[in-house]
Amino acid sequence: MHISKLTLVNYRNFANAALTFTKGVNTVIGENGSGKTNLFRAIRLMLDDSMLRSASRLEEADFHRGLGNWRGHWIIISLEFDEIGPDESIQALFLHGTGVVAGAAPIGRATYNLIFRPKKDVRLKLAQLADGDMPGLAEVRESIEISDYETIITGRSTADFGNLATYSEIVGDFENCMISDETDDPRIGARVSPLLSVASEVSFTYIQALRDVVAEFHNNRTNPLLTLLKSKSGAISATDMDPIVARVRELNDSIVALNDVQIVRSDIRSTIKAAAGETYSPSSLSIRSDLPEEADKLFQSLKLFVGESDENYEGAIHELSLGGANLIFLTLKLLEFQYQRAHQSIANFLVIEEPEAHIHTHIQKTLFDRIAYADTQIIYSTHSTQISEVSKVSSVNVLGRRGDACEAYQPTTGLDPIAIDTVQRYLDAVRSNLLFAKSVILVEGDAEEILIPLMFKQVTGLSLDEIGVSLINIRSTGFQNVAVLFHESRICKRCAILTDRDAAFIDTDPVPGESDADVRYKKKCRGSDVKGLTRKLALDLFVQGNPWLSPHYADHTFEVDFIAAGNASKVRALLPTIYVDPPTLAAADAELASGVKAQFGRRVLTMAANQGKGWFAILLGRCLDSDTVIPLYIRDAIFFAKPALSKEMLSNIYRYRVGKAVQKGILSAADAEALHALIEQYHSGALPLADLKHILLAMLPTDQVHRLLANVS
Amino acid sequence: MFAWSRHELNPEQEAAVLFAGSQFLIACPGSGKTRTLTYKIAYELSRLPSDRQFVVAITYTNRAADEIRERIENMGVNTERLWIGTIHSFCLEWVLKPYGLYHPDLAHGFRIIDLHEREKLLDQLCTPYQAQRVTFWDCEYYFTPRERVLGCSETRKHAVIEIILDEFFARLKCNRQIDFELILFYSHRLITAHPSISGNLSKLFSYILVDEYQDTKEIQYEILGRILSAGSGATRLLMVGDPNQAIFGSLGGFPIELADLRDITNLDIEPRVLSRNYRSSQRLIDYFGNFKLYGTVIEASGRNRDFASLVTYDPTIHKDNLADEIARLIQHNIEVLGVPPNEICVVAPQWPYLTAMTRALVTRLPEYRFDGPGIVPFARDPENFWYKVARLALTEPSPSGYLRRLRWAGEVIQDLSNAGVDVSAFSRKQLLAECNAVVINETDGLLYLRTFFEALFVRIQVPYLGFLSLVEHHEAFFASSEARLQRLQTDGVAAASDVSFFKKAFQARTGILVSTIHGVKGAEFDVVIAHTLLEGMVPHFNDAGGDDSAKKLLYVIGSRARRHLHMFSEIGRARGQRGDTWGATRLLRTCIFPYDSP
Repeated sequence: MHISKLTLVNYRNFANAALTFTKGVNTVIGENGSGKTNLFRAIRLMLDDSMLRSASRLEEADFHRGLGNWRGHWIIISLEFDEIGPDESIQALFLHGTGVVAGAAPIGRATYNLIFRPKKDVRLKLAQLADGDMPGLAEVRESIEISDYETIITGRSTADFGNLATYSEIVGDFENCMISDETDDPRIGARVSPLLSVASEVSFTYIQALRDVVAEFHNNRTNPLLTLLKSKSGAISATDMDPIVARVRELNDSIVALNDVQIVRSDIRSTIKAAAGETYSPSSLSIRSDLPEEADKLFQSLKLFVGESDENYEGAIHELSLGGANLIFLTLKLLEFQYQRAHQSIANFLVIEEPEAHIHTHIQKTLFDRIAYADTQIIYSTHSTQISEVSKVSSVNVLGRRGDACEAYQPTTGLDPIAIDTVQRYLDAVRSNLLFAKSVILVEGDAEEILIPLMFKQVTGLSLDEIGVSLINIRSTGFQNVAVLFHESRICKRCAILTDRDAAFIDTDPVPGESDADVRYKKKCRGSDVKGLTRKLALDLFVQGNPWLSPHYADHTFEVDFIAAGNASKVRALLPTIYVDPPTLAAADAELASGVKAQFGRRVLTMAANQGKGWFAILLGRCLDSDTVIPLYIRDAIFFAKPALSKEMLSNIYRYRVGKAVQKGILSAADAEALHALIEQYHSGALPLADLKHILLAMLPTDQVHRLLANVS
Repeated sequence: MFAWSRHELNPEQEAAVLFAGSQFLIACPGSGKTRTLTYKIAYELSRLPSDRQFVVAITYTNRAADEIRERIENMGVNTERLWIGTIHSFCLEWVLKPYGLYHPDLAHGFRIIDLHEREKLLDQLCTPYQAQRVTFWDCEYYFTPRERVLGCSETRKHAVIEIILDEFFARLKCNRQIDFELILFYSHRLITAHPSISGNLSKLFSYILVDEYQDTKEIQYEILGRILSAGSGATRLLMVGDPNQAIFGSLGGFPIELADLRDITNLDIEPRVLSRNYRSSQRLIDYFGNFKLYGTVIEASGRNRDFASLVTYDPTIHKDNLADEIARLIQHNIEVLGVPPNEICVVAPQWPYLTAMTRALVTRLPEYRFDGPGIVPFARDPENFWYKVARLALTEPSPSGYLRRLRWAGEVIQDLSNAGVDVSAFSRKQLLAECNAVVINETDGLLYLRTFFEALFVRIQVPYLGFLSLVEHHEAFFASSEARLQRLQTDGVAAASDVSFFKKAFQARTGILVSTIHGVKGAEFDVVIAHTLLEGMVPHFNDAGGDDSAKKLLYVIGSRARRHLHMFSEIGRARGQRGDTWGATRLLRTCIFPYDSP
């Protein structure tokens, strides 16, 4: 049995999210603040024995903030279990409480839900409201307090709580005051009998991130070694223990019998008598050795000593390196889990939060490659591309933020096995941060990968990373294989595709009498043109109807379009590092400066081909500055991925441009100061963006920033 | 492992406790059936293979369930894994609550109406049919797995009753309510439609014990049968009872044949007997043996075996002298023979005669206490939340009652939780302490309860008015209590409204019991005095069972007594308006026995 689905409705930073899980290892990937900790908290509320009290005490702060007014809404945490072996009697109590019954068919699915909802009297009041009675609704909601809420645990529900329509049917549509008369919708399932506590039926271990391992080792309650020893100490046979106990006694006696000990004792006695007098002195006093004789107490005095790699010395935990201590801690927790697993539990869950937090990257991968216990479902969250590749992309959940709310995406929903396999191979081969990105630009080659971030940084002063765009090099034009991940039913994050249309930039019609080389060149250009067009058509068709994907084409080739955008001077600056022969240098320079695509295009491609595109890009990168013009198709790709910039970011860009203009002598210091003041006003909210843009346009009429940010809000 | 010493069980009892398989145990009267059952439960609890499994015991009354549970607790056995209660509670807890959402009538929640509400609704529905003389009393019914069966034997009324019941069910359905019979009906429906239910349950129950099987209905047998057969032998069965005492036939109860039981459960079931009667003298056993319907063996084995029992039968006494004679007998037994008053029982077939008899005896013997019909002045509906609180309100803290009150407190907390109250902060001990801290100086019983409830709920800070089901139960409890009290006062029991009278309901009985024959089921007394043994009442003229039914009733009466049995078929009881009178029960008239002279 394993968890197949977790649905969170209105819980903390989740407005409405569904995560799916498979048997075995599952990964949860998400940026900071995307709700990983709250997600695990939700699972723990349901399955962790130590969290049961918290489960019955949800509060105002547990409501999703995006709700605005939480009053009347429900929090629902729903777990679905799959692959239930129907014949195991140890599961009977669990199935009796949660199994979804359907006639004669064996039970194959179970659900277990925590629902925090208004008590019945409040639900009745809401149900009695006439459709559309907004004032009435407002009045009822106004009166609701958190003490009007109840927590119920139900099983065998069939509702998909993540479905907004279902939620409205069961809870009500507060926007339009359409609330069902039904206050006990059977779809929420049957209340689970108090006889059943799923938390005590399963074995569940949670390993938290960012822990102070040494402190945990010192705390008797959290020390994993003690837990392990305790579970064994009960099983020690008397024959093994008796001789030890005898020796402990002997030891205790012989310590006490030491002459020095006896002297101290009699000295204490005589001093007390001298000080307090016979009447008020204690009647007896002795010194005893207190080495415990019981197995479990003796065990508590055992400590772990570890020698790190090459040293010939074994130290206590606090002497270990932080990484070493964490490794030991994790290992002991895993062992604890294995011991627990040996008990009669109906399922085993191991939840690990960011295992990479303290463990060296090299160990991470091997560790998780090897934790593959049968009958155990492992769910862990990670930031690390190292670990994420251990688990299959089909068992990954990606968390992302949309506005206030966190959402969960399953990257491979609805994909056929071949497509999944292709993505998997890509991710395995390239340790890419594709799944970690907030938004993505896919590019086809090294030149784009090297130059676009540089260009953007030079022009705006911000890096692509800062604005939350990851540029990922696919190293081919097979974008579809990877872009398939971005889809309404998969990862709902924006993905721009940046590629070359490869249209010919010369007239490819044959001219009588031209050289063989020209004929071949024209033929090649024609060939690329045709292929480029075919690719474009296919890509356009592929993205059709998918709001998360957008292709952007260089008319010809990245390098050619770069010059065409107005960057001939940057490439010309590069010429001396490439050509030494003066006539060639002059010819090349003339071609680059010609403004004629047929000429500069052919030249720049020759240069790039000679140097190798990647190396050429690196050389060119040195020549980029704030005047470098970002080609429009690149601009469009970037701002498709990131359609809006924050006030903070916009202000920074404008400040940067103003600063550059002053450096270049285009703007006087006084004007710059005035502009900075205006930008400050905009930043503080006093000046509308449109007004700022207007003034900037007047003061810096030739600056590319206006064009760059034309469509950005 | 639970163990006992030799003198605690006789070999038959011990064999039944130790027998590993399923068994069908015929227990003659006084054979220590409850003792055997108690030990068997304790034994099975101690050998439960998993802490996810349960031993389930089904008793005929809640009172019997409480008693058995208490006995087991007092043996020091942990009863956490024991579920014990009536078949109705069983169906409610294990079938309707967890699986109700699979029946459209129950999916949206349901509430069980108590007996008072039921009576009120049926009364109201009967009103249009006064001309046909159909009253609430005619509306008894029960379900078989196939159909609804009417309890009323007057077939000419059936058409009207069917109409009334149809309307009754329609009303209940519309209000999302069910009555006790519907609990069985829906449970049966659910368990038949969804085999997974019995599959789950059979895996949860290691043992099912059924007490008083002879009063089990077909639909109940079938519900249990489904669960047991789903277990294919993993869930074992102990069915115990006495077919000679099957006196609830008019409600559908009947003693199943072993072969049929094997059929519906698919189990190998071994027949066994408890044949040693520890209760009665040989003379009494010989006497009630005359009314044996099934050939069971009874061996007198107790201290009273050789006791010279008085068995008298007086078919000549006039009804007007009856009370004097019974009063004389009571006085003689107490004052001359030294029988404790609570060891004397007066039984008759029907309530009206008993009410009159109680009153007559109270006037004649003012120095003795009587526990007579309708003597509890408040609604005694065990499913009502406030009845449960009343139990705590009307009992005093005492060491001997501690476990019982702790359990009652637990039930209250459970009900609060079901009603939607956050009970995470309550423990049973705390609730008990809060109850004990409430002090109300009020002599009027109902007022006492009202004030107590208010005070308690202020103390525990639960505004019960905010919970619909608690409010509904509150209304039902007081409406029904007032009606009962009214009736008692009309009958002339003046002290009924006093709180001390209320408290007696939960005190150990100290007075002479006045009860119907059905009401003394399972009980035993030194002296049993039975009157109004008239043809038409024993057996009831409506009873299709005829002499067979009479036999069972006489068997039950006779087997209640340890020492003496006195019977009367008084003359002069008017029958109808034409001056006819009832005659003595035919079976008694024809029974030849060396009676003692009165």
